[in-house]
Amino acid sequence: MNSVPTNDNPFAGDNSGIQQRETAARWALRVGSYIVVLTTVAIMLHIFVKGAPVVFRSQWPFVNTQFLTELPATLHVIEDQQGNHIETDVNGADAVKKKLGDNFRAEKTISYSGGGILGPIVGTALLVVVSVGVALFLGVACAIYLSEYAKHGKFLEMVRLAILNLAGVPSVVFGLFGLGAFVLTAPRFVAMPAERSVFAIPLGFTTLSFEGWDTCVLSGGFTLAFVILPVIITASEQCLQAVPQGFRETSMALGATRWQTIRYSVLPFATPGILTSSILGIARAAGETAPIMFTAALAFKDKLPWQKDLPPLPADASIFAHWEQSVSRFLGIFTESVQALPYHIYTLAAKIPQNEYAERAQYGSVFVFLVLVASLAASSVLLRKRLRAKYRW
Amino acid sequence: MTPATNPESIPPPVVQVRDMDFCYGTSKALFDINLKVEYHRVTALIGPSGCGKSTLLRCINRMNDRVLSARVTKGEVLVKGKNIHDADVDLTQLRKQVGMVFQKSNPFPKSIYENVAYGLRIHGEKNKSVLDEAVERSLTHAALWEELKDRLNANALALSGGQQQRLCIARAIATVPDVLLMDEPCSALDPISTLKIEELMHQLAHEFTVVIVTHNMQQAVRVSDYTAFLHLGKLVEFAPTEELFTNPREKLTEAYLRGTFS
Repeated sequence: MNSVPTNDNPFAGDNSGIQQRETAARWALRVGSYIVVLTTVAIMLHIFVKGAPVVFRSQWPFVNTQFLTELPATLHVIEDQQGNHIETDVNGADAVKKKLGDNFRAEKTISYSGGGILGPIVGTALLVVVSVGVALFLGVACAIYLSEYAKHGKFLEMVRLAILNLAGVPSVVFGLFGLGAFVLTAPRFVAMPAERSVFAIPLGFTTLSFEGWDTCVLSGGFTLAFVILPVIITASEQCLQAVPQGFRETSMALGATRWQTIRYSVLPFATPGILTSSILGIARAAGETAPIMFTAALAFKDKLPWQKDLPPLPADASIFAHWEQSVSRFLGIFTESVQALPYHIYTLAAKIPQNEYAERAQYGSVFVFLVLVASLAASSVLLRKRLRAKYRW
Repeated sequence: MTPATNPESIPPPVVQVRDMDFCYGTSKALFDINLKVEYHRVTALIGPSGCGKSTLLRCINRMNDRVLSARVTKGEVLVKGKNIHDADVDLTQLRKQVGMVFQKSNPFPKSIYENVAYGLRIHGEKNKSVLDEAVERSLTHAALWEELKDRLNANALALSGGQQQRLCIARAIATVPDVLLMDEPCSALDPISTLKIEELMHQLAHEFTVVIVTHNMQQAVRVSDYTAFLHLGKLVEFAPTEELFTNPREKLTEAYLRGTFS
């Protein structure tokens, strides 16, 4: 049976082209990956090259503090006869013109492109705080119920389908929903219901009127919360499911009630994952434009949410003596409309005439925005790493 | 089945299973089980895989309640004379008094101290000195105190497999249960750790009543006073261990013990 080998190499490949196909497949996949990586790098580089000069300075303190600490303003660019451009704001324009005298040639105004972007940063921060607070509470509650309490069956299937669908809803739809639900019909306590109130329940000392919250941080935050809710529910449920069943069994076998079991031997070990995913939710909430367009964001606002024309609190007393007023003023922040970074960028890019000054403001805002979101994502990864090391089983 | 005629001389069994049928949905897992577990004895449940010994064990603290559509369809389970399926039975109290150790050692990823104190804490014990005392007592019972007393705050997951399983035993006995159910507690352990836990079981029997599921017949011989042999959901034979192993009444038992299943 021992046939004499006719070839020196018993393992020689045949020439059916299998090697070529193998190489082709590998290269196709490799090229695809390279395109993805290159595009990502290109985006980052583009933003960095155009945005970094706006945000950073070559001298101390190396950061354009004006850009980060001032509210957006209209930029006045005054040109003299020699062709020099002098940039100033609305207040400085007259002085510059007077100084130039006959040397003055032309003046150009560019909306929103002067000053800084403190307003949008603050607005986005407030929106994120409200939306993540609401979404975490609702999302974690829903995830716990689905994962620990609900019985498997038709109903659970339907709820999951609903969550999946929620994730697929275009964000502008959420925006319109927020307009209808929160801006125009959400219930609030008022002394006197407004005319547009849908429905009012007199409670004696006050009236619960379904007249909406107006365009404000609260409306926008709640709308954004529903945008990120599916992400948080799905992620939280996965984190809960990842906690070994043995922990639940042991806890129950020791006589713990279901809630005790969840509270002491499921949630603590799922929390790291839930927090990590909620940070990613923050990045998502911060980045959405459409949901806040109708519910919270203004293109221009010359005050921060806490800067209102209210009489100052009496100077003699401490903050505690007027805590009621202090609290209501604090809560008042959330009933103000705000500027927000993504909407600000949209305004700069689509609502004003494009020129070099507008572009500068655009890329500066985008750069700051990207840095904020990237640092959130990075902190999420770091947090996960640290907590994973702490809770390993 | 007859009630104890002379309650003074013979204490009632701590666990009594009477004519019990048990179903997972529509498939019957246990048929007409009768079992009496005496106080301060080690009772072993043996039998081939899938014979229902774990299911029977989990009937005693109603852990099967967690499984959807699993239920006792006939008969009753009495623990300390009380039918545990009665409406006025509080599951948390039942499980406090019928502790359980699982096949896979599963300490919580918390400190050793917190693991042992868990049962007491969920039952509302806040007094530090009571907890300290209980932790020391339980760890001593589980033969861990000497090894671990200096690092009670270390993470329980840093312990070896055998130590982890003994920690789980300590955790289960911290609430001072009357009955301790053990579901193949040594199946994932090396021989030396197994030996330690077997030694422990003799000690534990002084304080508690132990019911152990094992698929290791030598282990049943070594640790138990009574042995029940289950096969295909039926309790074939229940007798003092020595008797069952040396002189089985049933052909099936003999075949299983010899390893010659037909």
